[in-house]
Amino acid sequence: MENRFHPPHQTPPKLLAIHIDPQIMDDIPEGTIDWSIFQLVPANEAQFTILKKDSRLWAQFPDGDFCDYPFYFKNIARLLESFKSSSLVNIFPAETFQSFIKSTQAIEKKIFSNVSMNPGENVKDLWDEIIKKVNIISTESHSLKDLVEKILEIPFLQNFETSLIILHLKGQTKAELMGTMWRSEHVHRLIEVKDFNDLFNSIRKSKIKSFSTDAFSKVNIPFNGSFLAKEVISKKYSLIAIVSRHDFLNYSSDEIELFETCISLLQPHFERLIDQEFSDKKISELRVCLKEFPLPLRIRDGHSGSSFINDLYNNELQDLDIFFNKKIKGPFSLDLYDSDELRHYAFDLFHFQRISLLGELLNTLRHELSNPLFGLKLSSQIFTTLDVTTDDKELMIEIEKNVNRCQAIIENFSNLYQIQPDNKPVLLKKMIDESMVLAKSELREVTKKISYDPGTENIELAVPLIFVVQILFNLIVNASQAMRTQSERAELELHVSFIDSNVIIDVSDNGSGIPEDKLINLFTPFYTTKTQGTGLGLVLSRNLALKMGGNLEYLVTSNKKGACFRVSLPVV
Amino acid sequence: MKHILIIEDEILIQQSLKKLFERRGIKVDVSASGKIAIDMILAHNYDRIICDLMLQDISGFDVIEESKKRYTPEEIGLKFVIMTAYNSPQVLSRATSYQCKLLNKPFDNLDEALRIMTE
Repeated sequence: MENRFHPPHQTPPKLLAIHIDPQIMDDIPEGTIDWSIFQLVPANEAQFTILKKDSRLWAQFPDGDFCDYPFYFKNIARLLESFKSSSLVNIFPAETFQSFIKSTQAIEKKIFSNVSMNPGENVKDLWDEIIKKVNIISTESHSLKDLVEKILEIPFLQNFETSLIILHLKGQTKAELMGTMWRSEHVHRLIEVKDFNDLFNSIRKSKIKSFSTDAFSKVNIPFNGSFLAKEVISKKYSLIAIVSRHDFLNYSSDEIELFETCISLLQPHFERLIDQEFSDKKISELRVCLKEFPLPLRIRDGHSGSSFINDLYNNELQDLDIFFNKKIKGPFSLDLYDSDELRHYAFDLFHFQRISLLGELLNTLRHELSNPLFGLKLSSQIFTTLDVTTDDKELMIEIEKNVNRCQAIIENFSNLYQIQPDNKPVLLKKMIDESMVLAKSELREVTKKISYDPGTENIELAVPLIFVVQILFNLIVNASQAMRTQSERAELELHVSFIDSNVIIDVSDNGSGIPEDKLINLFTPFYTTKTQGTGLGLVLSRNLALKMGGNLEYLVTSNKKGACFRVSLPVV
Repeated sequence: MKHILIIEDEILIQQSLKKLFERRGIKVDVSASGKIAIDMILAHNYDRIICDLMLQDISGFDVIEESKKRYTPEEIGLKFVIMTAYNSPQVLSRATSYQCKLLNKPFDNLDEALRIMTE
């Protein structure tokens, strides 16, 4: 008897947690409880408890329901026997056993009260058949869709016409409806999560589990009539299983209970198939990711010597070019190669980090400044209404104006540095004006000429404002720096025109221009002629232009002194 | 409108509003602290309470919650005007749940803002 309290420790992970009152241990016949399935636990952790009441043994479930003890063990043994071959016993949740026991009990009672026959036999046959079938269809099914269609093979569902499931994987924006109608037509469609949730909650709350499609017109279930539904929830997904005879009659309580139990029995199989499909999908997504990885990449299998390469990899790459190497699982190792792409992406990354950091800083600054500025504005407004001299009044008005300007500047800056996901069309003129404002201090004592060819003044571009402003700002600052030391009056010219389907912005100055021998390195990263330059300005600018489907190039003009850069952007 | 309480920790804003109301013949109490303001609310019967959301010690919403000791939800909706410079969706939805008026700082139109605060 002692060893009952010390079941072996090397047990499979998921056992049914059972609690037995130590005082009644001796009442339980040896061998009734199979310790490869049950695990003895304290009362508060138990999935069910064996106890003695009115001098009889009972199984009690956590919800307080009792079940006849011999009946419980008889049925649980029956269920386990049927599933032994499929090695799934250990992953069955305790609720499945519980719901199985409860529905056999309910049906047994019903048969027993209506017909005078031996209790047990009839039910046993039906259950054995159902369990056998559930076992068969779940082993035969290789996809979720398969399993859903085969649900209709379960004995008591043989006069049903439709079997559907609606599956919502956590985190997805749509739920998926799949299954078969009229036992022949396949259905597959997507459903809004909100509608799915409404349906799921109504089913969860319902006690009768028998519904009519009229009540769920929003979900657009592809048939009319009454149906049986059962909800299943797990860590990774929520699922609704639906069967229907396509009529408008209500379902009997037997059918409802049988269906619920069948779905509980099928739950681990749903789980397994969903997992499998999910991981298949993940593998193929991963493959695409690797294929399209923006750097030359190779994964080598150290055992076989074979390797996976992506689209950018080519045979001219040498071990010398590897800049990143990592051993991944088993014999595999990953190599990333240095390339032009890498350099470009590094700049992009650098650029985006800088912009988003700036955006955050400016946003904080805006919030922090807005209150004191508002206070200044309010108090200066009040002062102007007081009985003060005209001079004082004007001073106050000036304060207010300055406050407004501060507010406008900080507002503009923080709007500018927000990376917006959607590019609403913005007037090109606005982008140019914005750049001029930003470069205002650089442009002191510079004559500015901005001219627009007909039609270009009203052109709107659906590209990130910040990209264009950044390019123009760069070019304008470069130009003004180039003209700084000259004795001649500095002149900056922006001219906007159309060439084919592109809008062209030429930015030119009357500085000394770029010597021919320096032109070749103009767009080379880290190449600079300035003492404090990074050598990134033009590279970044060109990258941004390319990203928008445009370009940035140096324009060699024979008739003009100075430098001219041409930004072209596609007009959609 | 006879007696107003202004809860605002930006002294320039607080004093300016005070002056503006006083010029209209309204008696004004002020507090820069939310906690002190709660005591004032419980001790006096203000016709209107103008409350900034971001105070140094507690939030304007805390002030409103504490005021429930004295006022019904309907009265709170009528008495309180919330001022804020951070009108995030969360702030908006919470302010709406109290049914009180909401003013964004800075005011676009001072006269309009004063009208909302005193009507």
